[in-house]
Amino acid sequence: MQDVTKIGILYSTTGPYGAMGRDGWAGAEFALHDWVAAGGTGIELEFVDAHANLSDYLVGARSLIRDRGCRNIVGTITSSARKEVIPLVEKHDGLLWYMCPYEGFEANENVIYLGGCPNQHLIPLLDHLVPRHGNRPYLLGANYVWGWEMNRLARELITKAGGQILGERYLPLEETAVERIIADIAEKRPSFILNNLIGPSSYAFLAALRRLGERDPAFLPENCPVASCDLTECELLDIEPGAAVGQLCALPYFDSLDHPGNRAFKARIQAWRPEFTHISSIFAGAYAAVTLCMNAIAVCGSDDPILLRRTLVSRAWPSVLGDIVIDKATHHSSLPFHLGRITADAGFDVIASRPAIAADPYLTGDRSRQAPFLRVVS
Amino acid sequence: MINTPNFAGWRAIILAEEDSNIDRLRRQLMLLGVTATLQWLPLSIDDLPDLVVVDADRGWDELLPWPDGKPARPVVALLGSEAPGRIAWAIGCGASALIPKPVSVSTIYPALVLAVASHLQRSEADARVARLEERLRLRPVVFAAINRLKSERQIDDEEAYRLLRERAMDRRMPLEQLAALFVGGSNALKDVG
Repeated sequence: MQDVTKIGILYSTTGPYGAMGRDGWAGAEFALHDWVAAGGTGIELEFVDAHANLSDYLVGARSLIRDRGCRNIVGTITSSARKEVIPLVEKHDGLLWYMCPYEGFEANENVIYLGGCPNQHLIPLLDHLVPRHGNRPYLLGANYVWGWEMNRLARELITKAGGQILGERYLPLEETAVERIIADIAEKRPSFILNNLIGPSSYAFLAALRRLGERDPAFLPENCPVASCDLTECELLDIEPGAAVGQLCALPYFDSLDHPGNRAFKARIQAWRPEFTHISSIFAGAYAAVTLCMNAIAVCGSDDPILLRRTLVSRAWPSVLGDIVIDKATHHSSLPFHLGRITADAGFDVIASRPAIAADPYLTGDRSRQAPFLRVVS
Repeated sequence: MINTPNFAGWRAIILAEEDSNIDRLRRQLMLLGVTATLQWLPLSIDDLPDLVVVDADRGWDELLPWPDGKPARPVVALLGSEAPGRIAWAIGCGASALIPKPVSVSTIYPALVLAVASHLQRSEADARVARLEERLRLRPVVFAAINRLKSERQIDDEEAYRLLRERAMDRRMPLEQLAALFVGGSNALKDVG
């Protein structure tokens, strides 16, 4: 009997970011389904639900590595969960596959980063917004490192470019009392709003801002858009109907991307489970991570992280996110930039795109890292 | 280092929430003779411990009762994040040493020694700057005293300065203080000179 290689999947399907965890979970399941349908064998997935509890991430990762024989774990959504799991993965020389956008300033040998850091999402987003809407934004964030750091960087970039931050406010993940923020925004009249809130507080804010826009058109999305880097299709149905329509989000994948690869991807998902009608970047990211992991295992003939790392950085890997190129030094993937505008049917219209951008997690400005093996060598 | 750093009998407050990192930190502090208490509420200025350890990944601005970069006690930051904003926050609360997360017990004693030594250096430097600033502030008074001595006694700059300095030494007071007394109309120079 052939040996089976196990890949751990670690997400929370409940809690304030449960919708994302459920999509990550489903994306991983579909990746295995797709792999088997294409004749792949020898891989099994081991799932752990961490229930949005930090210590459960640690317990779950430990169980995956020690008891269930997983040397590769795909998962975690938040930076705090990722930071919780990394020391354990380092200790056992495993690999963590992380596929969410995050705030950068990390490059760990035992992590493969597939979700994007600020030079792949925030910076091109500001490049798009400032010339069109002005350089006087208002910054919002979850009371957590993602919000703090994204807003710190936005403040630095905007201020250096001669702009001005009109306000900066933070809310806990589950806080929905947004009236004071709305009143402040109504008074200060920013050019646009950078929204790094997460979950229920973000939904409450979008609904309250929509009502402000109904009273004063200066705050409608076409005049003062709300832009974020983490609002995906899987959450749009949790927002009051119509409240988020017209607002913007920067992500490496949208359901509506119109190219043959994505059409085929969605058709296969439809045949698998017809209820998955809106594919998020979380679903696509987990799918891409698990698929890449399985492909690399197949090429290496092993799930040894040292061999996998060497193989991963040696070539480009076609994926639903485009060709994935993993930088040898940073372990971050290059990613395309797409800007989506929320539609009335809980999807996004892609209104701007840029081809894949190499990750620069420490914002060193080093361009020599860009896809070294794609360079013409004479 | 002449004296072996010793923290026996010290009182520390850890500003953090309970987790396995904090468990390891508390065990090691106990071993070093430090009595540590844990709280996730702002530190009171009326009841300062000898040492503060703060979770810089999650800390907020009102957690420490002193102004930016002016710690009243040695501060050690607990940090897992590499985000510049979090490092800046640790600097702002006056941290002068770091215990990285996950906490490895071997990093705790060196961090305490470093934080306490840096805090002492900083306090001494601050006191020296304060003294120098005071003297700088009183320069015009010294200048006025010298001018008055010159015209009253028909002497030159150097002689006036020498007189002022010698009298200050006799009376064991800073030159600036004596100058202020003289300019203020006292007979500070007459009775001895």
